[in-house]
Amino acid sequence: MAIEHTNKKYLKTIVKNVETVAPGYSLLSFDCETPLLGRPGQFVMIRGAWGVNPVLPRAFSIVKAGNVGQVLVRDVGPGTALLCNMHVGDELNVLGPLGNGFIEPKSSRAVLVAGGVGVAPLVFLMEQLVPKRVPITFLYGARTANDLPLKVRIEASADLIVTTEDGSVGTKGLVTQPLVDVLKDPNCVVYSCGPNAMLEAVGRVSMDAGVECQVALESPMACGMGTCKGCAVVKPDGSFTYVCTDGPVFVAASIYGGEK
Amino acid sequence: MSNILETTLGPLVLKNPVMVASGTFGYGLEYSDVMDISVIGGISVKGISLAPRPGNPPPRMCETPSGMLNSIGLANVGFDVFVNDMMPRLRDAKATVIANAYGTSADEFAELCRKFDDVEGIAAIEVNISCPNVKSGGIHFGVSGKPAAEVTRAVRKATRLPVMVKLSPEANDIKDVARAIEDAGADSVSLINTFRGMSIDVNTRKPRLGVGFGGLSGPAIRPLAVRMVYEVARAVTIPVVGMGGITCLRDALEFFLAGASAIQVGTANFSNPMVAIEIIDALEKYCIEKNIRPSDLVGKVEMG
Ligand SMILES: Cc1cc2nc3c(=O)[nH]c(=O)nc-3n(C[C@H](O)[C@H](O)[C@H](O)COP(=O)(O)OP(=O)(O)OC[C@H]3O[C@@H](n4cnc5c(N)ncnc54)[C@H](O)[C@@H]3O)c2cc1C
Ligand SMILES: Cc1cc2nc3c(=O)[nH]c(=O)nc-3n(C[C@H](O)[C@H](O)[C@H](O)COP(=O)(O)O)c2cc1C
Repeated sequence: MAIEHTNKKYLKTIVKNVETVAPGYSLLSFDCETPLLGRPGQFVMIRGAWGVNPVLPRAFSIVKAGNVGQVLVRDVGPGTALLCNMHVGDELNVLGPLGNGFIEPKSSRAVLVAGGVGVAPLVFLMEQLVPKRVPITFLYGARTANDLPLKVRIEASADLIVTTEDGSVGTKGLVTQPLVDVLKDPNCVVYSCGPNAMLEAVGRVSMDAGVECQVALESPMACGMGTCKGCAVVKPDGSFTYVCTDGPVFVAASIYGGEK
Repeated sequence: MSNILETTLGPLVLKNPVMVASGTFGYGLEYSDVMDISVIGGISVKGISLAPRPGNPPPRMCETPSGMLNSIGLANVGFDVFVNDMMPRLRDAKATVIANAYGTSADEFAELCRKFDDVEGIAAIEVNISCPNVKSGGIHFGVSGKPAAEVTRAVRKATRLPVMVKLSPEANDIKDVARAIEDAGADSVSLINTFRGMSIDVNTRKPRLGVGFGGLSGPAIRPLAVRMVYEVARAVTIPVVGMGGITCLRDALEFFLAGASAIQVGTANFSNPMVAIEIIDALEKYCIEKNIRPSDLVGKVEMG
């Protein structure tokens, strides 16, 4: 493992805006005096000034970098609840950018496949690809119509196909179903982020279609920068890889097998 | 940094008494983009073994009230990579490197420490006889005086570097172990490593860690650590390095008063990577204001 110089900084930032973008999902914007750098797929470790509980910072994909940073937070527990309830002007400590981002497509088309809050890094990727005129197909799967944060922002920029498990909006079912059709033209790269089961399914569908697929993984982590060795994931050969420094973006085949 | 904070631990002289704890600061280099790591009193690097170790199956960590459990299993790059790849850059960065050493037998500890003896730029060795997350060695050497002394004697013979022995809070009697390693030639003693703990996901009914158990660290263990530092400081004459849940100047002062001559910051580095430097700055201000040195505080708790 090489430890290379990166762009990461420890930034003391101030909450600029907290917008509820769907029930239980907040888009958190923060002012950075020193700009937050970062590419789509990279993440930050965030912690407010809330004493010792919870003790660890929380990992979030970067939605927007620069002088105003942005992350999308889904309220699933104590840390994310605190972040969703922050107020304008609150202090927010941000370490990043961390990890390796998505590698932009060399072929003509990008297929972005999001599951729930996994939409976060893909919106960033979309917003980087649009000015470069890369054609984008955006597939967005969720449990219900209430779990599609940032849907409006995507519709404004890309062709969007929505699936929900309960059929409350879009096609009823899983996001892998329309993906099979989209990949009938295999001249594209698939980028995906979402729950593990979904990522594996997206990876397999892509590999079956002969299409390169990059997945952004999650794993519990303490440091976000390779020091705690907490975020190990087992590779097909039984060895470990680390989400924070080797990922969070991996080529699907390297995680789910089938690598040539 | 002015030298008001300079601290002597037997043969080891540190620019200040605030170190970072093994396993919570990687090899130090990871942080060199974010800060000047030469400011830190000492960097106890991730536990190093002769051969690289892959570590334990995931999940390897979970958060608990005011703390965390980890079952990393001493995943590390091994001696050769550490010395060839990391040490040159640590020397360039002018870091004060404490080599945290792990072996599965007294002989292996000795071999590793003999090799460290030839490496330029290592300030001291911290002998880890207290890791709860490995099957052989680790905590087993640290639970009683006899095996602890055996490892310490072997290491003492193998190296001229200052030897700091790191104790487990799970020792049968931590004072006995401390006396035993002092008699065996340790220059200083550091404590505490983590407590073995367990956390269960009540929905899946599975342990939250892949191997079932893990070491508890963070503010949750601080009062236990302070008590043990107090006891050990009164049982031995070698300097004591205290750690366990330190997050700020106040916490550091608590350990000095209990009897620690220096401290290490562990889990709090995850909450705030700048925390050690912030404590150093705050401690310097505090000492200037009171016109004292940190050593004036050591063991000065006033028991009723
Ligand atoms: C690289 C990376 C990028 C991430 N990006 C984002 C992001 O952009 N937006 C975002 O909202 N989250 C993201 N996460 C997940 C986020 O870090 C966790 O949801 C958060 O740490 C949970 O903290 P908590 O204190 O609220 O809950 P915890 O107490 O840590 O967990 C509460 C409960 O939620 C479960 N849980 C933990 N993580 C998740 C999860 N991701 N989804 C559902 N349940 C979970 C736990 O198992 C537990 O049962 C990312 C994680 C990683 C590693
Ligand atoms: C993730 C993690 C990894 C650790 N790895 C080591 C190690 O390799 N060697 C060691 O001696 N101690 C290790 N420790 C123990 C710490 O150095 C320290 O003794 C303990 O965490 C108590 O201090 P704290 O409460 O400030 O974290 C580790 C602790 C954590 C949290």
